[in-house]
Amino acid sequence: MDQLLITVLSGVANGAVYGLVGLGLVIIFQSTDVMNFAMAAMATTASYLALSMHNAGLALAVAMVLAVGLASAFGLAVREVLIRPLGDGRLFAALVVTMGVAISTEHFVGQHWGEQPKSFPRLVDGSVAIGGSRINTQDLLIIGVAVVAMAGVAFLFTRTPLGSAMRAVAESSETAAVLGINSQKVARIAWALGVGLATLGVLLYAPNAGLTPVVLAPVLFRAFAGILLGGLTSMTGAVVGGLVIGVLDNLAATYVSASFRDTFVFSIAVLVLLVRPQGMFGRQAFVRV
Amino acid sequence: MTTATTTPAIEGNQPVPQTSPPEPGASVGWPWHRAWSWLRLLSGPLAAVVAILVLMSGAVPVYTEFTIGLGAVYALMVLSLSMLASWTGIWSIGHPALLAIGAYAVAYGSSHGWSLQLTIVLTLAACAVIGGFLGFVGSRFSVLYVALLTLAFTLVCLEIVNVWQDVTNGDQGVPVNTISTPFGDLFPSSPEAIYLVIGTLGLCLAAAEAVRRSSIRMRLVAAKTHPVVARTIGIAPEAQSALGFAASGAVAGLAGVMLGLVSGFVSPETFSLVLAVNLIAATVLGGTGSLIGAVVGGAFLAYAPSVASSISVDQPYLLGGLLILSLIFLPEGVVPTLTGRLDRWTGFTERLERRKERALAATGSETVAPTFPKEPGSTLAEVQGLGVRFGGLRAVHGVDLTLVPGEVLGIIGPNGAGKTTFVNALSGIAGGAAVEGSIVLEGKELRKVRPTRRRARGLGRTFQHAELFPELSVAENVLVVKRWATTADHRQAQRLLASVGLTGVAHRRPADLSFGPQKRIDLARAVTESPRLLILDEPFGGLDSEERSFLAAHIRRMRDDGVCVVIIDHVLDDLFAVADRVVAFDFGQLIAEGSPETILQDPTVRSSYLGEVDLASPASQASDGQSIVLSLESVAHRYGGVRALQDVNLSVAKGTVLGVVGTNGAGKSTLGRILHGSLKPSDGARTSNARISLVPEGRALFKTLSVRENLEVAAYASGIGRAHMKLRLAELTEWLPERVRTRMEISAGALSGGEQQLVAIARALMAEPEVLILDEPALGLSPVMVNEVFSQINLLAKDGITTVILDQSLNRALQTCSEVVVLRQGEIVARGNASIDGFAHEAEHAYFGQTPEILVEEGL
Repeated sequence: MDQLLITVLSGVANGAVYGLVGLGLVIIFQSTDVMNFAMAAMATTASYLALSMHNAGLALAVAMVLAVGLASAFGLAVREVLIRPLGDGRLFAALVVTMGVAISTEHFVGQHWGEQPKSFPRLVDGSVAIGGSRINTQDLLIIGVAVVAMAGVAFLFTRTPLGSAMRAVAESSETAAVLGINSQKVARIAWALGVGLATLGVLLYAPNAGLTPVVLAPVLFRAFAGILLGGLTSMTGAVVGGLVIGVLDNLAATYVSASFRDTFVFSIAVLVLLVRPQGMFGRQAFVRV
Repeated sequence: MTTATTTPAIEGNQPVPQTSPPEPGASVGWPWHRAWSWLRLLSGPLAAVVAILVLMSGAVPVYTEFTIGLGAVYALMVLSLSMLASWTGIWSIGHPALLAIGAYAVAYGSSHGWSLQLTIVLTLAACAVIGGFLGFVGSRFSVLYVALLTLAFTLVCLEIVNVWQDVTNGDQGVPVNTISTPFGDLFPSSPEAIYLVIGTLGLCLAAAEAVRRSSIRMRLVAAKTHPVVARTIGIAPEAQSALGFAASGAVAGLAGVMLGLVSGFVSPETFSLVLAVNLIAATVLGGTGSLIGAVVGGAFLAYAPSVASSISVDQPYLLGGLLILSLIFLPEGVVPTLTGRLDRWTGFTERLERRKERALAATGSETVAPTFPKEPGSTLAEVQGLGVRFGGLRAVHGVDLTLVPGEVLGIIGPNGAGKTTFVNALSGIAGGAAVEGSIVLEGKELRKVRPTRRRARGLGRTFQHAELFPELSVAENVLVVKRWATTADHRQAQRLLASVGLTGVAHRRPADLSFGPQKRIDLARAVTESPRLLILDEPFGGLDSEERSFLAAHIRRMRDDGVCVVIIDHVLDDLFAVADRVVAFDFGQLIAEGSPETILQDPTVRSSYLGEVDLASPASQASDGQSIVLSLESVAHRYGGVRALQDVNLSVAKGTVLGVVGTNGAGKSTLGRILHGSLKPSDGARTSNARISLVPEGRALFKTLSVRENLEVAAYASGIGRAHMKLRLAELTEWLPERVRTRMEISAGALSGGEQQLVAIARALMAEPEVLILDEPALGLSPVMVNEVFSQINLLAKDGITTVILDQSLNRALQTCSEVVVLRQGEIVARGNASIDGFAHEAEHAYFGQTPEILVEEGL
């Protein structure tokens, strides 16, 4: 029973990270129609930067905050320099451009910091006992920080005019334009915010996995599965989808087979979507001629 | 339809009523177009033979031979991915896994006594089945879902590879042994293995070229670009993408077998997701859908390491950088961009296609369109109790209608009356709606017939916006109807196009033509299989007068051949000129039936267009007409090739309530957006310094946002400060009726139509506009709500807001507006106000587009 609780709890901690990355993906996708494949590469770069700054003597928390800011700036630069010149409506071209960014960035990271895994320090050490088992305090911290960040996002999107405007653009950029909403500004905010959120999640996750240039690929895939499961158009869906994937993943690894966790997690995601194509929280669209 | 035209729209040919018969002995000359066509088909195998001969001559070092072999494998992969993406719209991340299946199959087979041909057959079968499944499942969903599906497939396969040690030997990998073939044993990594790969690539290129020309590709592309319309011409999108992915999967599996033979060793790291990304990159670089592009992309992947090292750039930077640069500067990919430029420069394709067209015309023999017997009193179709329901909304109900052969039936009714929904139900594409009642066509219940089969039952239709397949040529848009297009079909397609007055444009894309010719292509497509019941949805809209009379003649000809033609249109004079019988719809029901001469005399029909006249509120006061806040001078607008507005001069004085009246499609919304300033007219000038808000047609509230948030968004957009916003919000909350005011936090989608309209007006008022433009504020509202909305608009006008109301209802406009202009087919045909004697009468004639004399003769 304790084992199950620990498995679920650390699954929630991982899921919170997938949720944050997924939330970042959805915020960008909703506002600009771009699926940012380079999200993992951007967050990885920021994590290495945080590590370097920390090794240079900066306090870890400060280095992490700076890294989140730098990642946002990176995302913003990619959007302004590479995505925007493509023009509107080129969803697939934009996706492929982010793939190009991912390839180049991952290679840069490997060149600059090396391919060998590096350990990333925990913000808090130690573990908490639950019954006979123990869970890392860092995992609980991940859950806490994720809850705060998600609450912040929820506040922004539901309690401020800017957030309403961002949701308005997501629902109908056409009507938003009629009202005079500056969609470029919304797009810039979305990219900065989305990449920042994902990076925050990844910085918390890094101590568990260690850092390598491609360590985040599975995280990105799980976040991707999570947002499709949640329903692509829903921020709540991204978080819940991420959590579901995180818990399933841990349950599969512990109780099914460690070598078939991808099979287990992704088969379930695909099957759920077969039954409910619009995802758990998504809207169904009608097509008419 | 807003067609993005990159090349200037050409007007198509003048309507030529009949094809001129081919001149006897017309000199077509040496058929070099046919020679070229064979050359293209055989160039793949020929190039392969040349490459093999060069390799055999020993002029190429051994290591380069291996790279060439690897390049051929990659080219096969890129070919399968590229054609899949281009023809079905599916981007697969699952191809590395299919490659793995082929590679492990040959490794396993070679050490278990399988022959090469057995290995290939098994691989093709397995990969085709897997591909077919992925394509079938994926077709129901978006590109991103397919990405997840194929990603999942790859991850699962990689895990299986890791665990299934007996076959794969896990991380260590397995060697490929000598394998028997009908021509003797084949050693892996031998020159012969490389020749085999190159030969296979050559054959696959030829096969792909053959498919590219066939209607197989046309149908795939049709299902990809316009699945709903594809169904109406008998194409099932699921089957198409399953077929496409099955073929693509088989080729990928074959590439896997070849990879095993070339490299002689199979290890799991080859099949990573990095390969999937690289393959997509190579596809995009070479040019999606280009056969030469696939070879270029494959060669690039094989040579990237040596190219990168020779220019001292790391390979990932080279790949990533080229990918980004090519997407920004060569969006079509390297090969299509270059060949496209070259072709435009030399005009080769243009001459080739004209030559082909002439050759087809010269060999064609005129066949007469089938005529159907017209027995007096016979019935073609019987519709009984037809209803269509979208969730709780009854869009159409209780429709009974009998159709007889050789008649033209006109369907009229205001916007939103359910006309298009009704014909969508007939053709089986009513979306997610529930359909009830019965539709019997020639004794067969149509509701039990799948939409894709209804065409074969003799039902054809056209669409309001033509709905052509944009990635197919004009001729292909017609040919796509045929499962196997033969030369005879090509000739028939050309004849059909000629019969609607289109010659010399068969090889162009629809977007190169203006709207009139596009609608004629749609018509040609609809009559390809000689339907007995032909439905035309707004065929006259957007056509010029010559095109309209040509179309009318065409419709009469079809009627004389015994076809039953059902026409929906808002251009009433054209419709009445061809119709034998007219029925009128309103609120989803049939409200009247009559002859074209009598139907408009029916008071219910007239009032359904002209509006209820029980409005209690008085007309607002005319302004002094002194200060002009908004004016248009000689404004014209076109969408693509479609004329929406012509020669509009309009000035709005401060304090006026201007009504712009016209039927659906008269150009009201376009005019509204131009007045608002959010649409720039193609011609003419707009002058205004006023703050203007637009309430779009259909309210356009953000349904996922609450009522309050809808208002806040508008304030945010107009850039007013926080304190001011609070104040404004409080004022407008007060302005809203109590039942809305008390529910500011519920989502706007949950409000009734009338309430939504009031919120939409309040949202527009947040920016404190001097001019308020309302597009169809009464659309879809009950009479009571219409009165409430209009009395609010009146109050606003009295407060001094200059108001422009775009409305279908003439009487309502006359009653509520101080100035009225009538728009018909994009032109202002009457202007005045209710206080002018006889204006109401004049405006009504202008509205329906009938000259007063005729009506007077009929004693109206």
